[in-house]
Amino acid sequence: MKLKKYLALTRAGIIEALQFRLSFVVMVIGNMLYLIVVYFLWKAIYASAGTDVVNGMTFSDTLIYLVLATALYNFMEMYTVWEIGRNIQTGKIVLDLLKPIEYRKFLFWSYSGTFVMQFLFTFLPTFIVVAVVTHGAIPLGINLLYFAISVVIAVSINYSIDFIVGTICLYTQSIWGINIMKQVIVLLLSGATIPIAFFPEPLKTIVYYLPFQSIYNAPLSLLLDPSPSANTVLSTLGMQLFWCVSMLIVSKAFWKVSLRQITVNGG
Amino acid sequence: MAAIIEIKNVTKEFKVLNRREGLKGSIKDLFSRNYKTVRAVDNISMSIEQGEIVGYLGPNGAGKSTTIKMMTGVLEPTSGEILVGGNVPYKNRTRNAQEIGVVFGQRSQLWWALPLVESFRLLKDIYRISDENYESMLKLYQSLVDIEPLLHKPVRQMSLGQRTLSDILAAFLHDPKIVFLDEPTIGLDVSMKAKIRTLIHALNKEKKTTVILTTHDMGDVDALCRRIVIIDKGKMLYDNDIEHLKGFFGSYRTLKIRIDGDLEKQAEVIQKELPEFSVSSDEEWISVLVDEEKAKVLDVLSQLQKTHRIRDMQLEEISTEEVIKKIYEEGVQ
Repeated sequence: MKLKKYLALTRAGIIEALQFRLSFVVMVIGNMLYLIVVYFLWKAIYASAGTDVVNGMTFSDTLIYLVLATALYNFMEMYTVWEIGRNIQTGKIVLDLLKPIEYRKFLFWSYSGTFVMQFLFTFLPTFIVVAVVTHGAIPLGINLLYFAISVVIAVSINYSIDFIVGTICLYTQSIWGINIMKQVIVLLLSGATIPIAFFPEPLKTIVYYLPFQSIYNAPLSLLLDPSPSANTVLSTLGMQLFWCVSMLIVSKAFWKVSLRQITVNGG
Repeated sequence: MAAIIEIKNVTKEFKVLNRREGLKGSIKDLFSRNYKTVRAVDNISMSIEQGEIVGYLGPNGAGKSTTIKMMTGVLEPTSGEILVGGNVPYKNRTRNAQEIGVVFGQRSQLWWALPLVESFRLLKDIYRISDENYESMLKLYQSLVDIEPLLHKPVRQMSLGQRTLSDILAAFLHDPKIVFLDEPTIGLDVSMKAKIRTLIHALNKEKKTTVILTTHDMGDVDALCRRIVIIDKGKMLYDNDIEHLKGFFGSYRTLKIRIDGDLEKQAEVIQKELPEFSVSSDEEWISVLVDEEKAKVLDVLSQLQKTHRIRDMQLEEISTEEVIKKIYEEGVQ
């Protein structure tokens, strides 16, 4: 079984994550603090706007969107760039390269355990709380299935982008600046910090042609639309799939070319 | 027997940025860069057979790790050919990985937070080791070292020695054809070193695994290797049996004497008396490295006895360590 070796990595990741109880607590608290800030910020924005509906979204629409976006972020953020950068700087990358698994897959599956844990401990609780508190603002129907499919594709796109940025570390040998830049760009242009509905028209158009909105905006809009037309679903998923495949190809090719650059420390 | 590793005229060059000094230089570096080519490995050829333990020696920065990285497929040679188990390593890195095991003494491939047995299970799945082979390997390990207490200990709580031991066991787990050990005994105490040498020796014998060992500890070499390869500044200096190496320099013996007075000054005096040999001194002894082809040790001793009161003396065979030191310093003539 080929899948077995990947699932073994997932399993190890889960066990590993369970060793660090405190980091979970810290993560949940940090998450709550962020959501409180978001709540008051947008409350102020709506108060100063003077109307109940801004850019076609009510206060509670916006808040639900952003809370779920944050939850999605917590669960999808893989810290791939850090990981690759650190592995390069410490030279550990040599050992990972010498596993009989492609490095790209090795890294992804090594992280997948944390993934599962974060889904169960941050995304799911947030989702349930939002669903209960808002009394059905999240429609529960076929859209959940679309959402699930969309998230799976989003994870893949997100990972490919991270991997591309991580590959750049092979050239620069530094991580910090690149990672911060990537984070800001992705979070802003994907609609994770500000709903895309709030963007000015030209920016909206640009964003539409970029891969980032497929990461957060696409799954969330599928989730929050109670009765999406078949057309919307297909075009959203189709767009995501397009980006998924093209990012995959780019990240693989870029890695292959860049690997020749490796001059691992020491030697 | 067919060679398992075949290296032919391999050269590896790195481009290194020539950094200018100071703040001004650093700013200049941002705009114009000045690269120079460094030849880390220079035209090396060797052939290693299945089941050999080869000591791969050289001073720091000689190009040892670079050669190993080329053999494992992490680096691509600038020119020349490498075949490992019939594969070109950098072209088939993933396939090659299945056939080799690697231990870098200063890094661990084990999962930091997990007990050792979990790392083993992971490696079992990653390398697709069958249940039978896995069980029999664990049994073999059990018979060689006491692994039971290690198995359930998280790797991060292990001592360096335990971790290295575990790393070596992990590298042999999938029964690879070749294991690369890069300074496995670095930083370990004497008893742990001995334990690790015994382990490597036993695994090599039991599994016919080819072992490439780099080390700075001549104890490792004496205990494990029949053949050694020495490189320095990327060039190969020596490739032959360890006995042959001693024979090469075997006509040398060290005569150690203890006399009264300031040893350093006395050593200078003796050096003048014996201009053809090198004389050195430490806190206790004055050592004369005697080339027996030029003069007998006893003749030298009686000559010294005429002019000095010798309180004590010792005669030493030249050790591998000194031979290597000599080669590092002077090269093979």
